[in-house]
Amino acid sequence: MKKPLVIALLILLALALLAAMAELPAVGQADAPVHTHVSARYIEQGEAETGAHNLVTAVLLNYRGMDTFGEVLVLFTALCAGFAVLLAAARNGNKHYRQPPAPQESGAVPVIAVSPVVSFVVRLLAPFIALFAAYVILKGHLSPGGGFQGGMILGALFIALTLVLGKQYSARLLPVAWRPWLYALAPAAFLVVGMIGLQLTGYFLGYPQEPAWHGVREAMMVTLEIAIGVGGAVLVASLFLALESD
Amino acid sequence: MSELFDLVLLALLITIALLVVRARDLLVAAIIFSGYGLGLCLLWLHRGAPDVAMAEAAVGAGVTTVLFLVAIGVTGRKEK
Amino acid sequence: MLPEMLLELRPNLDYAAVVVLFCIGLYAVIVKNNLIKKLLGLNIMETAVFAFIVTSGMVEGGAPPVLGPGVMPPLASPLPHALILTGIVVALATTALALALIIRIYLQHGTIEADQLRELD
Repeated sequence: MKKPLVIALLILLALALLAAMAELPAVGQADAPVHTHVSARYIEQGEAETGAHNLVTAVLLNYRGMDTFGEVLVLFTALCAGFAVLLAAARNGNKHYRQPPAPQESGAVPVIAVSPVVSFVVRLLAPFIALFAAYVILKGHLSPGGGFQGGMILGALFIALTLVLGKQYSARLLPVAWRPWLYALAPAAFLVVGMIGLQLTGYFLGYPQEPAWHGVREAMMVTLEIAIGVGGAVLVASLFLALESD
Repeated sequence: MSELFDLVLLALLITIALLVVRARDLLVAAIIFSGYGLGLCLLWLHRGAPDVAMAEAAVGAGVTTVLFLVAIGVTGRKEK
Repeated sequence: MLPEMLLELRPNLDYAAVVVLFCIGLYAVIVKNNLIKKLLGLNIMETAVFAFIVTSGMVEGGAPPVLGPGVMPPLASPLPHALILTGIVVALATTALALALIIRIYLQHGTIEADQLRELD
């Protein structure tokens, strides 16, 4: 009864949106407003101004570094909120609706046995995936990639290893004592690099422009990439562990 | 050729989205959703956005699906 | 009126697909009763918006915005890519937070069906 009404309304919405879309410049048109304002400058001068071949990284870390700082803080806040929601549930002990009864003894054996093929392949590929993630993070300013992508790959690797090896290995992969520091790594790195930029150029998150300072500029970018990468991986891993544990 | 690829990919994405919405079994919906992430990854590559494609491949096809699966493991897989 | 509009949409077919995806996601958010299903719908809506923004940054025959030997303009605009890159990661974080809330609701009330939850209070 409700469904036809919703569908009719959605079709109306779709028609309105389509009418608006028809007014937009054609897809891929080179003189559309998207390409003629800031983007043109980013493409023409981005490499000289930021020292990054990958213009996406140039925009993320340099031109819009402040946005990325805010985004990293959003991730940190989301992590805190997730912990608050789940850990409160664990402490209250209201688990009477849990479906599978009798959680296994201290994660000794998984409920469903892991296939030996999957286990072998994941363990075989793990070092290579880690190497690829490190490459993506460290070369993010020169080739496609960067902190966010590499961090997500690392986080996915952590999840795969935890699923295959059992939960007792997660503490070895990501020591518990380090975790609180790693949660805050990315915002802290942005703060430190931003302050260095403030000292060098007079602007928060400013990068020195002189050719002689090129090494410093690159070091600042790589520091931020590593911090974002490790922070992203820890974010994914700890959200997974928090969801899984309760 | 490129336009045909685009059309097929967009049609595929819409079909997958419909399947996700229609699936009664949440487990099935989550697994199909990971296929949706993979399709999007191809779309980003086609749009000249390899950076976004890389993130989407790891997030959309990997991590998001795992998180959904964990949640479904707690709450049960059948949609009433 | 409608055929004319469709004719005008011809070069913007990619945008039309995005609208369809958005409406499919919104349908799931409104009609579906299960909270996880609603969240899947929300994710589809998100990706539709991402697709719209990235598509707007595309240039016909454009290369990815990574400079190097042999890369000639036109290049795709890097700004939408940077925005969506952060958007994807934030979407992941918010999805995880929503799943945490859903798990908490389930532990508290034993159901994640919206109508049963409404009856509870």
